[in-house]
This record gives sequence, structure tokens and C-alpha cells, in this order.
Amino acid sequence: MLADYTRLALTGIKQKGIRSLLTMMGIFIGIAMVVSLISLGEGLQNAMLEQFEMMGTNVIMVMPGAGIESMFGSAVPVTEHDVDVIKKTRGVDVVGGLVTKIAKVEYKDEIKYSWVSGFPQDEGRKIIEDMQQMKIETGRDLREGDKYKAIVGYMMAHGDVFEKEVNVGDNIMINDQEFEVVGSLERIGNPDDDSSALIPLETAKELFETDEYIMIMARAKDGFDSEVVAENIKEELREDRDLEEGDENFAVQTMEQMKDSYMVVIDLVRIFLIGLAAISLLVGGVGIMNTMYTSVIERTNEIGVMKAIGAKNSDIMSIFLIESGILGAVGGIIGCAIGLSISKSVELAVKSQGIEYLVASTSPVIIFGAIAFAFVVGALSGALPARQAAKLKPVDALRYE
Amino acid sequence: MINDYFRFALDSITNRKTRSLLTVIGTVIGITAVVALISIGQGMQVAIDDQFKLIGSNRIIVSPGGGGVGETSNPLMGGLVSAKLTDDDVEFIRKITGVEFASGPVIKPVKVEFEDEVKYLTSTNVPTDAESIKFLKGIEFYIIEDGRYITDEDSDKVAIGYETAHSIFDREIKIGNKIFIEDREFEVIGIYKKVGNPVHDRKVAMSLDRARDMFGMGDDVSSIFVTVKDGFDAVEVKERIEKELGRHRGMKEGEEDFSVATAEQMVGMFKDLLTVIQFVLIGIAAISLLVGGIGIMTTMYTSVIERTHEIGIMKAIGAKNSDIGLIFLIESGLLGVAGGIIGIILGFSLGIIVEFAAQAAGVDVMKAYISIELILGALLFSFFVGTISGLLPAIRASKMNPVDALRHG
Repeated sequence: MLADYTRLALTGIKQKGIRSLLTMMGIFIGIAMVVSLISLGEGLQNAMLEQFEMMGTNVIMVMPGAGIESMFGSAVPVTEHDVDVIKKTRGVDVVGGLVTKIAKVEYKDEIKYSWVSGFPQDEGRKIIEDMQQMKIETGRDLREGDKYKAIVGYMMAHGDVFEKEVNVGDNIMINDQEFEVVGSLERIGNPDDDSSALIPLETAKELFETDEYIMIMARAKDGFDSEVVAENIKEELREDRDLEEGDENFAVQTMEQMKDSYMVVIDLVRIFLIGLAAISLLVGGVGIMNTMYTSVIERTNEIGVMKAIGAKNSDIMSIFLIESGILGAVGGIIGCAIGLSISKSVELAVKSQGIEYLVASTSPVIIFGAIAFAFVVGALSGALPARQAAKLKPVDALRYE
Repeated sequence: MINDYFRFALDSITNRKTRSLLTVIGTVIGITAVVALISIGQGMQVAIDDQFKLIGSNRIIVSPGGGGVGETSNPLMGGLVSAKLTDDDVEFIRKITGVEFASGPVIKPVKVEFEDEVKYLTSTNVPTDAESIKFLKGIEFYIIEDGRYITDEDSDKVAIGYETAHSIFDREIKIGNKIFIEDREFEVIGIYKKVGNPVHDRKVAMSLDRARDMFGMGDDVSSIFVTVKDGFDAVEVKERIEKELGRHRGMKEGEEDFSVATAEQMVGMFKDLLTVIQFVLIGIAAISLLVGGIGIMTTMYTSVIERTHEIGIMKAIGAKNSDIGLIFLIESGLLGVAGGIIGIILGFSLGIIVEFAAQAAGVDVMKAYISIELILGALLFSFFVGTISGLLPAIRASKMNPVDALRHG
């Protein structure tokens, strides 16, 4: 029975030839847009989640200032004194502060401006290295006792910053001070990090004449909840700085909180873009409805015959619903294929820019979801025309020419 | 003759109401989305231009940090750059040909307390000598509306931005009130004019000397604002500053540890970014127009098939191929234009709704901008979408063999 319906529906689609093709095109353009945006959005989200995962969920960050202004250098800086306070806080394992500045870097008479970071020499460095996922490629890590030694990022080492490659043993000048390069890092995947240089923390403070940290990172001890430890740190710092609750001039964030706030923004952008793309699906659906109304009119006579030999209203309705559903689903399949190719091309284009995080997601959920969705759009758009066809009076329909 | 064509086309459209309606809806949705996005986008461009006019076209901004990573002409990023600009550089720039005046504020985020309420705001601290005050009076951002300017003797006085005074704190701050900045007491003696830019409307400003003292900053400045003398070209003066200040600081050309931008360039960068975002959004929305066009094409093919017999008769009594083609082109063009007109109305309404929603949320720059060009452009475009979609069906209709067509149906 269902096979017969499908055959009848297919005949309807075939008869209309180019018009059926055009109708499906309307759907597949919409689906291609939605699929590529969802797949890229999902890829971006996965990449970020992965990053946060690798940084360690038990890391807590302390930044100067309250809110976004902290980015731009605050009036009340966080310093080594705060590191000491945090170290003594209940539940804190290791603590490390970080000095980061844009500085003049000179190599073989070539001058560039690059990020230069000062890393602590004690156990605090471990947590920052883990967070930035730094691995030594050649040479050695900075160690206690180093003063004018530096490690260079992957791009700086391999001639992407300077014309010549920077090798272990070479000398570079940072703000006119000579440093010996003792190591280079593996690629991190972020051009800013990969083109930076790392020097010992104390040297950085001296060189940049500052004792302000851009942020302090702390790790919660095993068995302690990082949210609780973050609250403890807040309380200790408040007490140390003699501040009331709510008046903090510093910000304490756990990785989890940071992740959540990022995700909210990404979700908003995704919903907006997908909504915009979904408009073309709506238009495609209207196109299906139009084609189906035409189909009903063209086949009025046929409907009369079918009813005359005993077809029920529901039979007629099913035939037309299947027809519109097939239009939608076929459009969905083609759209899925095109959409995924688009997102893969974007992934490759982004990779060629040196950003390695973005992997377009091709999860079965997206593929089947999109095809199912296209089928539903098709069937829904066909619902009104199908009802009209089902309600035709056999006598009128037979007489129609 | 053309009248008859129109009548034919209109007949065909009105004969099949549901189908025509659905076809038009497709274009309406597309045009609505595109018009709404363009109108909001243009509104934002206009708002930015207004801000630019406030800065003035003869301004130049010098910020620390050279090319490469540090290429951020954002004065707020100053804190991350290890290179520094100082009073010495300000003095030097003042002597460069074509420079009317130069002044270097110190910008720092600060804690501000008023009647036990604490907020974190930006302090933009400006020099207070008579010459500098005269200079600042010429910049829209620094015009005092209520009260007076801070002078050399006012080390414990501040001027505050419009929003700082009127909306940030629960209670309004009035001239003569005391506020605490970083726990030191200041008396408010001036309130700046509202400029519609949160950076300036939400600021506090004390004297430069006091700020340096408080933040322990020596003679550093966050960035240097320069006005160009009348009759000089801002771009030329900008290049001169770049060259001479570079030499003064002992830098080779192309390797400066500071960057110089005219106000126009800075606004330009911002606008370029906005334009790119706008293009992406409109591109995505325009795809629904493409789908709408395909819908018109489907309808036109159907129309041609249904009227095959009619076409045969018309040809038999002497209609030329071009006559038949024109009738169908007019039909599809009308479908497009009808969608366009409704879409434009809906699009603008949507834009205005967004404007109101944004304003209710406190965002001032989101304004729907309604221009004649946009209306005519959208109308013309929808007509094009209609006729181009109708082209293939029309050609098919015009090429029909009269004998076959007559025999059909």
C-alpha cells in the first residue's frame, strides 16, 4: 500500500520535471547554508571545549580590575604580594604570575614587535605551561638561575616572524637587551602565541620596569572544588586589600566560569547566523507548498478517478504528503552534501592561516537531523495542499478539465 | 500594445491567486531580511560618522606600540605595550610643522565611590595648563557643560562624564558633591557634555599631575592627541610626525615603536570591519532571495505549461516570439516587484523595531536608516530577480511551435 503511494508520488514528481528540480533546489540551498553553519559552529565549540579541557578544569585565574577594563592595565595591579596571599589560601596547590607585554624584538638587524612573556621559575611555571600547552621542541626549558635566556615560539623559531630562522644558541635583543635563545616551542596553533618569546619572570619585571602581572593562575589541590577555592581566594584577597564584599577591584574566575561565559557568546552568534540562514529554508518551504498546490490542481482529474474507484480521503492525503516529503528529503540530502563541503573548505581555508583549532563537525546527528528536518519541512509545506486534494468532491474532480 | 501585455500578465497572476500569493511571499521574506539588515547597517555607519565628526577631521593620534603584533591603535591597549610615550615626545610633536597643538592624557581604569556605592570607571586625565584647556575646549569630548574646567590649582577636583553624573550611580552626582577615586576624596566641579560614546560619557577626569602622582607614572602619557593647523593636510602631517618622531626616538623607518593614525584612519578601520560583518550577514540573507527567485521560476514554468494552448492561439493569429516572451517576462517581473514593495515596507518596520529594542536596551548606535537609494535599489533588485527568474520560462514559451501548442490540452 505504502509502496503504491510512493510510486504515485514519484510519478507526480517526475511529470513535473524541471519544476520538481527547481523546488528541490530551493530546499537544498537552505539546508546547505544551515548545515555548513551548524557544522562550523559545532566545530568551533568543540575546539574551545577541548582547549579548556587541556588547560585543566581546576585552574583559577585572578586578574586585576573588575570586568573588561582589567584588560587594559588597571589602577590596582596584581603583584607578587597577591601571589603570596593566594599561596596561603586554603585549597590552593600551586600559584604562578605572568607578565606579558608587547616589546621590540631584534634579530640579525631586523626589528619586530611581538608579545614577550615573563614566566616564573619555580613550580608556578608548570601550571602556566600546562595551560598554554607549551612543549619544548628543541633545546631546553628555562630553569632557575637563568637571567638573560629566552625561549622562542614556533613561528619565531621557523622564520615566520624574522626572515632568518632563530636557532638555539643565537642571540636576540628584547628592548635592546641581549638574550640567548636556549629553546624553542612546538606549534601551539595560535599565531599570537607562536610568534612570542618567553623570558624569566624576574628578568621581565626588570626589563619592562613593572611588577604588575597580567594575571595570576592558581591550581586547586586534589579533592578541593575549584569554585570553593575561588571563593576562598576572593575572600583572602578582599581581606588583604581591606575591601567590602561586592567592591572587589580584582576578578577571580574558574576555568568552568570562563568556559561558560565564552559559550554563551558563541551560542548567541550561532543562533543568530543559523536563524538568518533558516529564512531561506522558510522560503524553500513556501516553494514546496506552491508546487504542491499546482500538483493538486493538475491532478484534479486523477484524484476524481481514484476517489470514484474507492480511494479514501486519507489515501489521497498520504500520496500528496509523500510527494512533498520526498521533495524535501531529496533537497535535504543534496543540501547536506553541499553544506558539508562548504564547511570543510572553510576549515581548510582557516588552517592555511595558521589557526589549527577549527575542525568542521560531521557528526551523524547533523546529517540525519538535517535530512529529517528537510523531510519535515517538505511534509509540513505539503500539508495544506494535501488536505485540499483530500477534500475534493469526487464528482467535481472528475468533471474538472 | 504594452498595455495589452500587462493585462495578459495581470490576468495570469490574478487567475491563480494562491500560487501568485505564495510566489510573492517567497520574495517578500528575502527582501524583508535584506532591507532590514542594510537599513540597520547604514544607520550604524551614520552613527559612526557622527562620532567621527565629534573627533574632528584634523586630529591625529599617536599611540605606543609599532607594527606587527602591537599594531593596535587603540589607546586603551597602551597598558600592554612595553614602549612608552612621554612628555618629551609631546613637546617634540608640538614643534613639528603643521601641528597646532599636542596633548597627552593619562588613561587608567579606577575605582570610583559615591555615597557608599562603588563603580569601576575609566579616568581620562588631561593637562591643566591654560593652553591645554583652550585646546580641549575645541574637542567635543572635552567640553564642560555644567561647572568649570580643572585648572593647575585643582589637584583635588574632578570633572565627570555625563553618564557618570546622571545614570551610573543610584543617586545623581551634582557639582560640589564629593566622590572617592581610589579612596581619595575629590570634589566634582564640572560635568562634560553628553557625546553618546560610553568611553567618554562614563569617565572621570582629574588633573594630569595628580593622576601621575596617584598612579606613580613618571612623565608617561597613554597616547598623544594632535590637532593639525588650518591649511595643512592631516595625512601629510601624520607622515611628518611618523618620520620626525621616529628620528627623535632613534628608530629606523618601518621599525618605529609607536604608531600614528589620523582620526579618519581610525574611524576607517572601524567602518571597514563593520562593512565586512554587514556583507556576511546580507550575503546569508540574500540567499533566501535566490531561493525566492527559484520559486518565481517554478511558478513561471507552470504558467507556461498551463497557457500552452493560449500561446498557440496567439501565435496562430500573428503574435511574434518576442511578444510571447515579453508577456511572460512582465508577469515574472510583476511578481518580483510586488514582493519587493511588501518586503521593503516590512523590512523597514523590522529595522525600526530593532532600533527601538536596542534603544530600550541602552544601545544608541543601532538606528534604522531609511534612504531613497535603498528603497529604489531594493525595488529595482526585486524586479531584476523577477525578470531573470522568468527569463528561461519566457524563452521556452516564445520558442513553442504554434501547431504543437495548439494541439496541447
